[in-house]
Amino acid sequence: MTFSRRKGVIVLAGLLVGGILSVAIDWGVGGEVQAVVRQESEKEQGQALADSIMAQWTRENPDRASDWIAEEKERHTVQPPADNSDLLSGGQGEGHAYGEYTELDVLMWAREAEKLVVEGSRIFHDAEALGGTVGVSCDMCHPHASNTHPETYPKFQTQMGRVALLRDMINWCIEQPVRGERMEPDDARMRALEAYIYAQRKGTELNYGKH
Amino acid sequence: MKQGLKSVETRYMEERDEFFRALRKLDRRSFIKLSTAALGAVAAHGIIPPNSFQPVTLAYGQTATGTGGSFRIAYISDSHLYEKDVNDRFVRALMRAVDDVNALDPQPDFVFYGGDLAQLGQPKELELGAGILRNLRAPLKIMVGEHDWYLDMGEKWKQLFGEPTYSWDHKGIHFVTLLSVVEKDFWTERGMSPMERMKTVAGLDNSVQSPFSVGESQREWLRNDLARYSDDTPVVVFSHSPLYKLYRPWNFWTDDAEEVQAILNRFRNVVVLHGHTHQMLTNRIGNIHFHGFLATAWPWPYAPEGLPELTIQMTRPDPFNSQDGCGDGEVQVHPDGLVDKVYNFWNRNPLTVARNYTASWGREMVPPRPNRASY
Amino acid sequence: MRTNRLAIAFVGVLVLAIVALQSRGQSTQIPMAEHGAASMDYQLAELAKLLPEVDVATAPAGFDPVVWRAFIPEGNEMTAARVDLGKKLYFDKRLSKDGTVSCATCHDVTRAFTDQRRVSEGIDRQFGRRNAPTTMNTALLQTLFLDGRSPTLDHQARLPIINPIEMGFPDGNAAVQAIAGDAEYQRMFKSAYGRDVNYEDLGNAIGAFERTLVFVDSPFFRFLSGDVDAISADAKEGWRLFNEKARCVTCHPMNRSNPLGTDNRFHNIGVSARHQDFEELARAGLKALAEDPSESRLEQLALGTDMSELGRFMVTRNRSDIGAFRTSLLLNIGITQPYMHDGTLETLWDVMDHYNKGGEPNPFLDGGMEALGLVDEEIDQIVAFLFSLTDDRFSEENQKQMEEQRAKAKVSRPFRDDELAFRQKIAFEDRIKQ
Repeated sequence: MTFSRRKGVIVLAGLLVGGILSVAIDWGVGGEVQAVVRQESEKEQGQALADSIMAQWTRENPDRASDWIAEEKERHTVQPPADNSDLLSGGQGEGHAYGEYTELDVLMWAREAEKLVVEGSRIFHDAEALGGTVGVSCDMCHPHASNTHPETYPKFQTQMGRVALLRDMINWCIEQPVRGERMEPDDARMRALEAYIYAQRKGTELNYGKH
Repeated sequence: MKQGLKSVETRYMEERDEFFRALRKLDRRSFIKLSTAALGAVAAHGIIPPNSFQPVTLAYGQTATGTGGSFRIAYISDSHLYEKDVNDRFVRALMRAVDDVNALDPQPDFVFYGGDLAQLGQPKELELGAGILRNLRAPLKIMVGEHDWYLDMGEKWKQLFGEPTYSWDHKGIHFVTLLSVVEKDFWTERGMSPMERMKTVAGLDNSVQSPFSVGESQREWLRNDLARYSDDTPVVVFSHSPLYKLYRPWNFWTDDAEEVQAILNRFRNVVVLHGHTHQMLTNRIGNIHFHGFLATAWPWPYAPEGLPELTIQMTRPDPFNSQDGCGDGEVQVHPDGLVDKVYNFWNRNPLTVARNYTASWGREMVPPRPNRASY
Repeated sequence: MRTNRLAIAFVGVLVLAIVALQSRGQSTQIPMAEHGAASMDYQLAELAKLLPEVDVATAPAGFDPVVWRAFIPEGNEMTAARVDLGKKLYFDKRLSKDGTVSCATCHDVTRAFTDQRRVSEGIDRQFGRRNAPTTMNTALLQTLFLDGRSPTLDHQARLPIINPIEMGFPDGNAAVQAIAGDAEYQRMFKSAYGRDVNYEDLGNAIGAFERTLVFVDSPFFRFLSGDVDAISADAKEGWRLFNEKARCVTCHPMNRSNPLGTDNRFHNIGVSARHQDFEELARAGLKALAEDPSESRLEQLALGTDMSELGRFMVTRNRSDIGAFRTSLLLNIGITQPYMHDGTLETLWDVMDHYNKGGEPNPFLDGGMEALGLVDEEIDQIVAFLFSLTDDRFSEENQKQMEEQRAKAKVSRPFRDDELAFRQKIAFEDRIKQ
């Protein structure tokens, strides 16, 4: 590909500006970012920038550096979220903000949904993350979240002597068999655990009250 | 009570009256035999005991003829010990099991420990377990579970308990103990530390680990060990993994099961007693009858698929009682090598999977079904 | 001669009254009957003060009406005639062989509808093996007797009358004979059930009367209904612990459909393990029952012999029921001391100590019993909560009991074991060290 001389000057100027700007931005995490401005195409420069940001983060977060989602999924199979690709076609009118979806949208929804579920799987399998004090994690009685029956809530939970929702029972299990401290209902861990448990029962019919 | 709304007590009373009405028809001798719990006699008279009414003492199946003796062994399995100050429940459960077995009268010929004595294979855990088991009055035979092995690949285990694979004869029955939790190396390429490896194996649903197997060298050993025994010899195999393929995602699985079964095929009767599954489990493949041990530590749910036809599930345990669905048990060995497998559940009635049940492919002496199964 | 007999009877009653009063240790205000009970007439008068006039056919306030109705056996629907008949029978000492014992002797209106004794006293001053449960709020119990051998109140009422150490009649007919001549009874039976005096209806009527003994107006229930100041802060914290750390609610649930605080199940919590060798008894019990499985032999064994300690096992012969007794209901627990099936726990602090250490280890212990690790403050809070379960009509006695029990608990806590409670020692440790 060829540049006309004029375009080349403009691009070079743009690069310089971009380079100066990129160095000037404060990353705020306390480290130094080595952003090297080279005479490359925009795309490659962007990539280089992204790589250096990633390297920075990796140095500061050694535990979570790798793709923790893929790792957790390798360790414990997780049900995938529903397939929404049927939303990509049809619709009542093109280009509408409300009512039209792209592949990237569908991908993003799936990734985000999966993340909460996979985070739940991570906590589910980790006695310390649960706050347990006896080395017991949920998977020790519920491998792959079996026997959790989220589709049966609300129901009279005999162990609690009253009607419970899923998160009430999760809390009961955390307090009793796991011997940890009860979580607040909107604790991020509770939400993740619920997400994982529901996800694993994908496809089961709702049947509240079943014992 | 209004129609259809009967209390447990009313239902129980009706059941009991029905049972006693049938009982009174027996002559006195049969009645006494009944009350000392010869389940075989009950079945012979066509009286099915109601679910709530189970004899206290052991149920003995019909004793078949064979070349072996008739004797009883006890088992304790899957204690998954942590150190006492980390988890007291698991320690309490193992102590309770030892207490149970010590109270048996008469004492069994020996006690078999089904593996997974420690939870994370740590020396302190294994020593704690060994110390508790030392209180058993009857002789102890023991086998390896994956939780015992994968921290140090059996170093501490061998120090405490000797070689994991061995065999011996007892009253005409040939016993074999296998190390059936051999896993292909998955840890070196991932650069795992020993504890990381152990924790991976410790997760039942952790798919990074490899499936269990017996392995070529042990199969070779087994072939040689069995070579001098005639096909008529009753053989009992102790194995931690089930020696058949039930559910791969939970390693309720032995990868070379078919090869191992092929070695055992020529014998008239083979019984495999296995741990790892923490539940009531029964199977039969050809001449091989498989029975699972109860755990003392916690019960597993049943696998969503792959359950053997002969298996009658145990009632879904109540999480309030950390010992529900757990316990210990006994195995009544008959001269033909087949067994009555007694599941001594804590806080439940004992359940027996009798010799006749597996011998008749599930037609005779069917154990009662649960009202609350895994689903 | 008649006059002599009368004189002797008068003197006898006087002597008995004085003896009973001495043993009761109370003021001479309450007229006494035999065996330590208040006089029947006095009890009736007290009962009239306690119970308001209500339509017996409607579910009492505080009970779910659908559940309430489900517990009433078919053929014994609640009518005023049946309740009145049952009341007369409940206080009638003619239903005992020697005319000294009525239901109200051991289920005394002035003593929280129980006798507040360790075990109960029957004819000829014979003592049984079991603590008498209260007849308050029994309408929603699924089984009666601590070993659950009766499916309904109606059935239960017929058994103490023919028990040799309680009321002593040889059978139901003898009991009916004792009252059949009474014209009043003839009229009442006809009016209530349309039949002559008979044993079956006798039990039915007493059951109907007992269903009216409803005492659920406690500070705690007012708190649940929204009165936030009805109970102390300690009691509120106790209720929270009851549901959480102390693990009580699983066997003692309290909800709108079942406000009693019992799961109607049988658990071995290890109380009987303190007395004797279980396993030997279990074998002996099985042998005895195999020889005679009739109900009366069970009755005898349950109350007379050591095998009474085997509890529910005597009824079901389930190994899992050895040493198991029905979970007690918790309403009015503050005034129904002493506690447990054998009355061996005198105070609610003793009860908490028993649970805190995880009961007594024995081969049949319910695995749900665990060391709880409750500290003194938490125990006090749970006890405060338990005392808040007493009906307002007994608040004076409740207060008195609380003070008496607290004083006793300050002096001694015989069931306390901190080593077990805080998991420094494991429950079965001692049993396996050879």
